[in-house]
Amino acid sequence: MTIRLNKLLLGTTAAGLIATAAAAETELTFLVDVAPDTIAVFEAIIDAFEAQNPDITVEIETRPSGGEGDNIVKTRLATGEMTDVFLYNTGSLFQAINPENFLVPITDQPYADNIIDSFLQTVTAGENVYGVPTSTAMGGGIFYNIPIYEQLGLEVPTSWEAFMANNQAIKDAGMVAVAQTYRDTWTSQLFVLSDYYNIQADVPDFAELYTMNEAKIATTPAALRGFEKLQEVYEGGFLNEDFGAATFDDGLRMLANGEAAHYPMLTFAVGAIQATYPERLNDVGFFAQPGDDADNNGLTVWMPSGLYIPQSSENQEEAHKFLAFVASVEACDIQTATIGAQGPYLIKGCTLPDEVPPAVADLLPYFQDGGQTAPALEFLSPIKGPALEQITVEVGSGIRNALDGAELYDNDVRKQAQQLGLPNW
Amino acid sequence: MKQLRPAILGCITLVVFCVIFVVPFFFIALQAVKDRQGSSLLNFSWPSETQLWQNLVDVVQARDYQLLLAYFNSTVITVFSVTGLVIFAAMVGYVLQRRPSKWNKYVNFAVLAGLMIPPAVVPTIWLLQQIGLFKTIHGMILIEIAYNLSFSILLYRAFIATVPRDLDEAARIDGAKPLQLFFRVILPLLKPVTVTNIVVQSIAIFNDFTNPLYYLPGKDNVTVQLTLYNFQSQFSTQYHLLFMNILLVTIPPLIVFIFFNKQIVEGMTAGAVKG
Repeated sequence: MTIRLNKLLLGTTAAGLIATAAAAETELTFLVDVAPDTIAVFEAIIDAFEAQNPDITVEIETRPSGGEGDNIVKTRLATGEMTDVFLYNTGSLFQAINPENFLVPITDQPYADNIIDSFLQTVTAGENVYGVPTSTAMGGGIFYNIPIYEQLGLEVPTSWEAFMANNQAIKDAGMVAVAQTYRDTWTSQLFVLSDYYNIQADVPDFAELYTMNEAKIATTPAALRGFEKLQEVYEGGFLNEDFGAATFDDGLRMLANGEAAHYPMLTFAVGAIQATYPERLNDVGFFAQPGDDADNNGLTVWMPSGLYIPQSSENQEEAHKFLAFVASVEACDIQTATIGAQGPYLIKGCTLPDEVPPAVADLLPYFQDGGQTAPALEFLSPIKGPALEQITVEVGSGIRNALDGAELYDNDVRKQAQQLGLPNW
Repeated sequence: MKQLRPAILGCITLVVFCVIFVVPFFFIALQAVKDRQGSSLLNFSWPSETQLWQNLVDVVQARDYQLLLAYFNSTVITVFSVTGLVIFAAMVGYVLQRRPSKWNKYVNFAVLAGLMIPPAVVPTIWLLQQIGLFKTIHGMILIEIAYNLSFSILLYRAFIATVPRDLDEAARIDGAKPLQLFFRVILPLLKPVTVTNIVVQSIAIFNDFTNPLYYLPGKDNVTVQLTLYNFQSQFSTQYHLLFMNILLVTIPPLIVFIFFNKQIVEGMTAGAVKG
């Protein structure tokens, strides 16, 4: 403890007296959440970064993910104890940490130009940009088991009707059509959240109207469809028997081993399948959640977490160097080498290897053709109600009907909008 | 028939206790020897492949031998806070019990407030920052003492009521000064309740998760409970390593119990008889 204290005192005095002395040996602290993949990737990136910048060392500190992690980040920002660089969500959760008061803008930094525009809008507050993307973009949609599709001669559906017909065929063949895992409540939201591309196709300015409190989910037919789809899948009897007690890990197992044909999920699950069922990786494919119109089929996209610098950091110059390194093609390649390609990168010039898992290969065309993706609602509007996952569990297990659930969610959202001080609520 | 009934009752009790205490422990041990795929099922099936040693090495080596550092930190925090708790709580309890004064009701109120009012995180951190104790082990020790003091005081006060006043007077007549009186006469007599205190509080402090999480951030300040987060996250959990870590974390209290089994049971029963 004393050693640390001395170091700190020395550091501050030196920085005050001679500006160059501070650069002699700087330790950047870096807070990340503890997903094993994240740590593996950052350890590799940091090794390369330290090799290029011998005068800087980066120390990883971990925090839990989920709600507990949100509390840690908010507490540490509020008390000025945040690390020099930290990893946190983009979109609505990013808005909730009050970026303009706590974070350092990177708008004028040269490395900000390397970032793809679609990511920038999710880390912008007011006039300024604050974050650098750390991994690949993810798609929200439906994973399917390729052997089951081949066995039954099914085709990848581009409309909801075709999807339900596939489900019926799978059910008639005596198999589980859709895996649902409501013990991990967050997994229940996918049918609703992944439907945003279809909402936007119907009501292009829905996010804006929604934020302004001029459109409601329950009264917008296109938006209500997400809840209705959840209900239809339950009522069709397509779910696995233990859908109320199954976990996310169970869902992956059912999908990979062919115990269920579909599993609605974000594409980051490719990484988890790769880690737990590597020999089944080639059995898993992916398609976007189909809408009612087969001709307009597109993907709802989730943005990865961003790296931010808090205003309380004393080593901002070095922190910018680190962010610049993360926003480089080199960092993408390190990530691909460490955990494989999981989707398209958000740094200009980054490429994927030729050999990617089928689920990732299925994902790429949506990005290439252009105009076929839409960000998820939580990246376009700061409002996301805290109780959505509980409501979708109710709708998805037949306890509440779709309209009722959507109305309840509209009420839930009100609380957050008022907390954020949005106009017109 | 008469002899049969106690036997049946005994058997039922054994089965119930077995289900409550042994089955979860067995479950942890079972998952800890499986491989990743087997453990992700989270069931009671016999492992197809056992890799006890591999899991053990993985857990200990994870994040640059973080677990060993965590053991050290947790031990330091537990030992020093429990020592502090025992001494301070016994002193406060003694004075409260023996010396009625007009301050007593305020002190009692403060003790009860300590039990009833939940501590707020952010103001506590501000205070710690201002006195330079935030992110330090000794700051953490003081927090654990402060948070658990009320409970210990109540235990001591109730027990001291059963110690006869005559002993104090005899010691004083023999010329003992106040401190001598407390440390040489009273404190040894409090052994039963001290043992209870040590057991209850060390388990609570060793197992404390949220307080170190908020008050002791920093890579070098990790405690054993926080290492559990190395292997689980929202999207991907390595259950085999997680359960191995849980197994390793439960071992130190178990060793303490095995070695001090006699004293613990003696202390508790002695207290019970006296009360």
